[in-house]
Amino acid sequence: MNQLNIQPISDDRIKIEAADIPDGLGVTFAGDIDMEDPGIILDPFFDRIHQGMISKKLKEVKADFTGLNFLNSSGIKSVAKWIMRLSDLSTDAKYRITIVHSKDITWQVTSLPTLTFLVPGGVKIE
Amino acid sequence: MPDIIANDREGYIELKFGPRWKYIACVRGFIQNFLAISIVDQTKADKIALAASELLENAVKYASRDDTHILIRVAPATEKISILVENSATPQSITTLREVFQKIIKGDPLQVYVAQMKEAAVRNDGKSYLGLARIRYETGGELTLNITESNVVKLAIDIE
Ligand SMILES: Nc1ncnc2c1ncn2[C@@H]1O[C@H](COP(=O)(O)OP(=O)(O)O)[C@@H](O)[C@H]1O
Ligand SMILES: [Mg+2]
Repeated sequence: MNQLNIQPISDDRIKIEAADIPDGLGVTFAGDIDMEDPGIILDPFFDRIHQGMISKKLKEVKADFTGLNFLNSSGIKSVAKWIMRLSDLSTDAKYRITIVHSKDITWQVTSLPTLTFLVPGGVKIE
Repeated sequence: MPDIIANDREGYIELKFGPRWKYIACVRGFIQNFLAISIVDQTKADKIALAASELLENAVKYASRDDTHILIRVAPATEKISILVENSATPQSITTLREVFQKIIKGDPLQVYVAQMKEAAVRNDGKSYLGLARIRYETGGELTLNITESNVVKLAIDIE
């Protein structure tokens, strides 16, 4: 378990796990997110991360998508929604999001970098 | 699986299926395998499978009848690919589709996609209005929309 007490998500198509990293939280996504309404699981998950980061005053979330084969546009909406919440935060509550992507997965090369345009300076891609 | 008519010589594949969500992943995988033996460029095959998947999601979500249809053509010489998805829809969803389509078809694909993401982030109706803008940007393809008098939606994308 991690210091924010974020429970993993696991079913036959997806696995999402959270673990402590220096000064923050590492989140790994694996499988295929292609259900009709992925917001049902993703929105509450990102909400817990967001609230936890603020209350524990942590500074970085490293979101590792390299194990995610597929993410549909409804899933991208959930990620975008989470990222956009960075812009509501005061300077001292702000945390950084680092998106880790795989150069071998085509959609990750095209779609994940676009998330850095949502909140200038808030999101880094590596 | 739906009935499948494939023809190697002419380079096309056509699938017709009762719109069920769980078929989409299966059709996406099938298209990827089909393209792996039809074209050389794997990145392009991935982009086409993504476009087909987003178009099929829409065709399943917004179909008003059980007549969803996808046709993929491969021009052997140029490897130009066309995907056409057809479904019946209600006049109401057709109106929405026309509006969204007009909005996302003009301008720089990346800027339009990012703008749609920002709007999606504040939507609360379970829609994203992101799928079409996404495939326009990610594939670099050209989207076209035709609607017949009998309310059949024909959405196509041509990818060079
Ligand atoms: N095949 C279709 N048949 C009827 N309406 C459609 C179809 N595709 C898209 N639409 C309409 O266009 C809108 C935009 O589609 P899209 O960009 O994929 O976003 P989303 O599916 O998340 O709403 C949909 O919300 C729907 O109202
Ligand atoms: Mg869609």
